[in-house]
Amino acid sequence: MMNTELTCPIHWQRAIALIDMNAFFASVEMRDFPELRGQPVAITNGLQGTCIITCSYEARAYGIKTGMRLKEAYTLCPQLIQRPTRPNVYAQVSTRIMHAISTICPDMEIFSVDEAFVDMTPCQQLYGSPGRIAHLLKRAVFDASGLLCSIGVSGDKTTAKYAAKVNKPDGFTIIPPWEARQRLHAVPVTELCGIAQGIGGFLARYGVHVCGDMQKLPISILAQRFGNPGRRIWYMAQGLDPDEIHTDIADPKSIGHGKVIPPNTRDRDVILTYLLHMTVKVSARLRRYQFEARTYFIGFKSYDGWLGGKMKLATPQNDTHLLFQLCKSALDQHWHGEGLMQVQVTALDPQPTRLQLDLFATDPCLEQHKQLNHAVDQVNHRYGDMTLTPARLLNRSSMPNVIAPSWKPDGHRQSI
Amino acid sequence: MKFKIQRDDLLMPLQHVIGAVEKRQTLPALANVLIKADKELLTITATDLEIELVSRIQLMVDQPGEITLPAKKLLDICKSLPGDAEISIDIDNDRALIKSGRSRFTLVTLPATDFPSLDEISSVYEFNVPQSMLKELIEKTSFAMAQQDVRYYLNGLMMEVSSGLIRTVATDGHRLAYCEKTIEGDLIDSKQVIIPRKGVAELLRLLESSDDPIKVVLGNNHIQCELANQRFTSKLIDGRFPDFKRVMPSEEGNRFTADRESLKQALIRSSILSNEKYRGIRVILSKDLLKLQAQNPDQEEANVEVEINYTGDDLEVGFNVNYMLDVLNTSGQDVIQGVIKDSSSSCLMTFPEESHCKYVIMPMRL
Repeated sequence: MMNTELTCPIHWQRAIALIDMNAFFASVEMRDFPELRGQPVAITNGLQGTCIITCSYEARAYGIKTGMRLKEAYTLCPQLIQRPTRPNVYAQVSTRIMHAISTICPDMEIFSVDEAFVDMTPCQQLYGSPGRIAHLLKRAVFDASGLLCSIGVSGDKTTAKYAAKVNKPDGFTIIPPWEARQRLHAVPVTELCGIAQGIGGFLARYGVHVCGDMQKLPISILAQRFGNPGRRIWYMAQGLDPDEIHTDIADPKSIGHGKVIPPNTRDRDVILTYLLHMTVKVSARLRRYQFEARTYFIGFKSYDGWLGGKMKLATPQNDTHLLFQLCKSALDQHWHGEGLMQVQVTALDPQPTRLQLDLFATDPCLEQHKQLNHAVDQVNHRYGDMTLTPARLLNRSSMPNVIAPSWKPDGHRQSI
Repeated sequence: MKFKIQRDDLLMPLQHVIGAVEKRQTLPALANVLIKADKELLTITATDLEIELVSRIQLMVDQPGEITLPAKKLLDICKSLPGDAEISIDIDNDRALIKSGRSRFTLVTLPATDFPSLDEISSVYEFNVPQSMLKELIEKTSFAMAQQDVRYYLNGLMMEVSSGLIRTVATDGHRLAYCEKTIEGDLIDSKQVIIPRKGVAELLRLLESSDDPIKVVLGNNHIQCELANQRFTSKLIDGRFPDFKRVMPSEEGNRFTADRESLKQALIRSSILSNEKYRGIRVILSKDLLKLQAQNPDQEEANVEVEINYTGDDLEVGFNVNYMLDVLNTSGQDVIQGVIKDSSSSCLMTFPEESHCKYVIMPMRL
């Protein structure tokens, strides 16, 4: 290990690190099942899943990528090993990793289930140089999970994220803020986080292909087209990304659950069971984080595309029973016996539960449901999700749960 | 149809009726005003099928007739002409020729027969009140009407007439405003109507602070108000207004009196740091002191104290600060009085000098 205290002895005005787990789900599998180590491993959603969620570096060497169909992957690498996801384990490992990071640098932004930004600026007084802190973090991640990670350190989020990608896996790259502009100079702008084809194409029309070209472009052109995010892009390309570490979890834009159902399902009862399952999950999650919603998307995917639509309630609600009634009327309105393959229930405008009391008494029935929901939530919180459910869900699907990339250890994103 | 008119004589009545013309409408004729020229009277009518506004002008007409003209364009032309201009309007086939000085405009017309009229009003009830009284009844209460609530009967103003009394009530389900006045006349049975939001706003625009009487006609589906040169008609909201008497809190409880202006200023100051969306504010009552506390999501905090007269229990209640300010803004009185039972019951606010108005606000959970 190099002596980082010598590499970088100066106090940085701003020190940001990105910690990125290497092929997270695959690494967890290889950690727990030694026979997988050194093998090309692909993770799918259960053994029924056909789409590769992630794969080991050994598999990547064969050209296998995330999002690839299993069939295609087998042609590239016939000895590929398929493993089903274990979302609960990943959530557990992620929580431990995030917790370990936060004990060193409490100012952290959990970017996804396997990525986190930390602001190391204030920690420099306690632990020394950013390089040294990064080593502490890498060590802490390993101690907490037995897994390797890649770390990028710089003076801003964009450069830190770029640095973390440089030497994967097990990367460790420090770009001091005063070198950031120079280091990014020849990097294509589309390699920066947040610049995809859309903005990339816009920049290319103005002759901006690599970050170094950005200085030639007046900031006002980006501001005019994209507003403040545009201004941010201008700074990003010069190693000056002003974006802060967002330690709080923003209010959700939607809360929803969907599920693939047996192909060509036409049995109303079966569809309703799936809808109830999703309803129970969505409404319990809304209640858990004190949200309610007025508009719900209730959808059924047929072979000709999505049926269903937005259903609006009189007032924002999070009651399971009421939401299931809404599902039933959506089904009656939009479904005419087509074969279905997927259902979705999403709260579209979740807002914190109302604090304002009402002048006129509300429906006594809703008041009763509120008490019932509360009791069910208490039981399930203590004994595990779905311990107490409507009887119809005894026949629910055993298809495994899926962990979302935006999963977070705390708040409304903590759901599988 | 042909007539000449002074610019100001046409501008005023046009401005009186323009409020009924919707910016976007489904029926082409609704973008127009109906102009009806009798020998000595010019009548201008606008409607959106829910309300209808009519203005009348005494005028010697060269050639009687009726036609509809684009409302917004006609108004803009009038506005843009100098104050002393004379305007001549002449209908030739389906075009209207408008001339004034060296300006000429041709407008597309639609026949008067295309113009929709509201259904015939069957008068059930008729009474006269001074304009200023009706104005006060509306001004003191209409702020509490709901906006686009699914309980459609809350998106309007309830007016009730019964033996010697006229009262208006508005509520959005969180707060309620009530005002009553005595009226003369032998009104035997009582009648309750709900006037839709837009109608309330247009009626208020019509009323002046004079003691001249206005004739109010209540039909089964309409309200009509008649002034010397103007007539207002609105459809009513067909629904049952909630029983406001049931939610009126008793006058017993923890009572405070405060200087209206200093309480208002304190509320405005503390509201700067209350949550922009929910507008919650903590009201802490103790002996002769009212403390206001506001906090926003950035954890910024405001603490403001006001001296009041209070001998009740120590109390902490949350309120939407806008609801309190709305009440304080209805009156110019010096003293405001509040009665609160506890932190989960509604608060009754009144002005001792204006006992005919009452305001009820439900608290917020904090």
